[in-house]
Amino acid sequence: MRPEEDRVDIDRILSLPLETGSQEKAAGQSLPSVGRGDLMTYDAAQNNPGRFADLVRRKLNRSLVASLEACVHCGLCADSCHYALARPDDPRMVPAYKADQVRRMYKRIVGWTGRLVPGLVHAKRPASDEDLNRLKNVVFGTCSACRRCTMNCPMGVENAAIVRFARGILADLGIVPEGVFNVSRDQWESGNQMGVSEQDYLETIDWVKEELQAETGDPSIDLPVDVEGCDFMYTINPREVKFDPRSLANAAKIFKLAGESWTLPRWGWDQTNFGLFSGDDRLGGFVARNAYEAAERLKAKRIVISECGHGYRSTRWEGYNWAGYDQKLPTESVVVTIQRYIREGRITVDPSRNPDPVTFHDSCNIARSGDLIAQPRWVLRRVCSDFREMHPNGRENYCCTGGSGLLSMAEYRPLRLEVARIKAEQLKATGAKVLCTMCHNCIDGLNDVVKHYRLDMKVVQVMDLVAGALVAPE
Amino acid sequence: MSPLLRVLQDEVQIVALSFLGIVYVLKLLWIFRFPHRTERTFAAGSARAGVQSSLMNVLMPWQMESTRSDPVFYVQFALFHAGVLAAIALSFIVPYAPGLLVGHGVRPVMLATLIAALMIGLGRLARRIRRPGLRLISTPDDYLSLVLTIVFFATAALLLAAPADWGEGPAIAFFALTALFLVYVPFSKVCHYLYYPFTRIFLGHTLGHRGVVARRARVDAEGI
Ligand code: SF4
Ligand code: SF4
Repeated sequence: MRPEEDRVDIDRILSLPLETGSQEKAAGQSLPSVGRGDLMTYDAAQNNPGRFADLVRRKLNRSLVASLEACVHCGLCADSCHYALARPDDPRMVPAYKADQVRRMYKRIVGWTGRLVPGLVHAKRPASDEDLNRLKNVVFGTCSACRRCTMNCPMGVENAAIVRFARGILADLGIVPEGVFNVSRDQWESGNQMGVSEQDYLETIDWVKEELQAETGDPSIDLPVDVEGCDFMYTINPREVKFDPRSLANAAKIFKLAGESWTLPRWGWDQTNFGLFSGDDRLGGFVARNAYEAAERLKAKRIVISECGHGYRSTRWEGYNWAGYDQKLPTESVVVTIQRYIREGRITVDPSRNPDPVTFHDSCNIARSGDLIAQPRWVLRRVCSDFREMHPNGRENYCCTGGSGLLSMAEYRPLRLEVARIKAEQLKATGAKVLCTMCHNCIDGLNDVVKHYRLDMKVVQVMDLVAGALVAPE
Repeated sequence: MSPLLRVLQDEVQIVALSFLGIVYVLKLLWIFRFPHRTERTFAAGSARAGVQSSLMNVLMPWQMESTRSDPVFYVQFALFHAGVLAAIALSFIVPYAPGLLVGHGVRPVMLATLIAALMIGLGRLARRIRRPGLRLISTPDDYLSLVLTIVFFATAALLLAAPADWGEGPAIAFFALTALFLVYVPFSKVCHYLYYPFTRIFLGHTLGHRGVVARRARVDAEGI
């Protein structure tokens, strides 16, 4: 473990200024998303505190109001948040404190007591853009929206939903970290988070196909694009195209062995969704709808989502609601697909091929906000010979520290790595050499933790271990 | 019985209770005015089972890390709320069924509960003042609500324990405070129990619908 050297000055974090360079550039380039009013930019000439109040009134829903009203300030949530646990002497890391920065505004704008006697409940409107900028630093910089505190709140208060609510309103005002603006821009403009052009996408697929054919000596192995009537349409994380085509190759290899009929779509292939992180439901709906419509257009029988925590949560659960699109097709994680292959004997795996001790990190978006806890373990117990749980795990696991888009916000990285001490201690205690997760985002978050705290671990995905354990048919 | 105490324990309580009831109804109507999101996804589990489990959470301290790792806190929570129930019950028993306090051991049990709740309340106040994290999130309402509750316990305990020659003083103090409490509660954090079912139902619905709780076996076999 690293010593205490990395202690971050939290006042500096909370007063980080609003950077608008990318926003000005985007407006100067007259990007279509800006012109359409999809991607909002900051305008200092506007009455932003007033607009904030209007948006609060407009965007509230019943479950948010309940969470905003129900907190009794018992402080129990401090025992469950990795920020608060890593900085026990810093009261601003308490989940309820972070939610309260939104709650006090809500109370003054909408709440009963807050409007009658504001001082009694610390109700206060944002008075200036400076107040909104500080709120930006709280909700984007000091919470990974992991929802661990909700699981440990006796009242069931959704602090992460409150944080996301505030993020969404700030996104409407253009008061967001540069990284959030840039990724949102890319996803609005190109339909995917990393701004991958169609040409790059298709060329990478071709390249992966050629490599795979050469590696396996099987010229029939394919990564089909836009084929109609397949058993499933496969949606992926742009990271797989840009930085980690190996996971695409693993998928293609496994699908081939299983005799699967599958396709990638030409458009609507990105299962990730920055709307979840930025709080922008419109962006969330736009991205999710792309995938649902692609599957419909291709007459696929189901949608399969590659390994990604927030992508799974967005595509499987939230996206249908954001997009106002009734689910028509079964939509599942590729880990569930693999589970089915193994169960049905469509692929054969040999656990002795992965002999190193393996532990599994549950992505928050899958274990707490999704539904898959037993399934990855079912697969892992069959593809590696020494599986060990980390503690806590499942619904109670700690965040990889890179959740909620924090990987794209460089300015909050020092704090993220400082509070990652909790995760690092948890990982180290397993004694595992291989750290497996089913999320591309967690891979990056965990790699940062492993590197920063000098842990002797390799970070992989479930598909890596499945591919490593595959037994080719005679 | 003096006319003051008679009015205080009867008409005043009824007026204060009616006020509380009216504000609660208005608050409920108000919360229902906010839109509720339509769920458009196929269920992987049972929303009903999720809701049941979430609402029962309060009786299952092992379900939450926070109460699992600190059982003393959970016991304190239970006793504190038992004290609230005892004090409220007392405000009905004294004017309408005083016979219940004679015999059956009701009086000593109520008194013990109220004294325990009083001590826990004082401990909670100390905890709130001592811990920087709690101090920072505490509003004047948090302190006022807690102090009012502590005094409520104290006057209720006094009412049960005071010797007859103390006269009506303890009863007047208890019923005056109860009336004040009833009027303040809907505007304070004490009315968290009004929102409690909402937050727990919403959380349980999501966890149940998504199959985090009560996942259907068929889901993994056939997909959904
Ligand atoms: S969010 Fe929950 S645990 Fe935290 S202070 Fe509020 S009621 Fe307590
Ligand atoms: S959602 Fe996670 S990071 Fe945010 S306050 Fe709660 S426990 Fe902490």
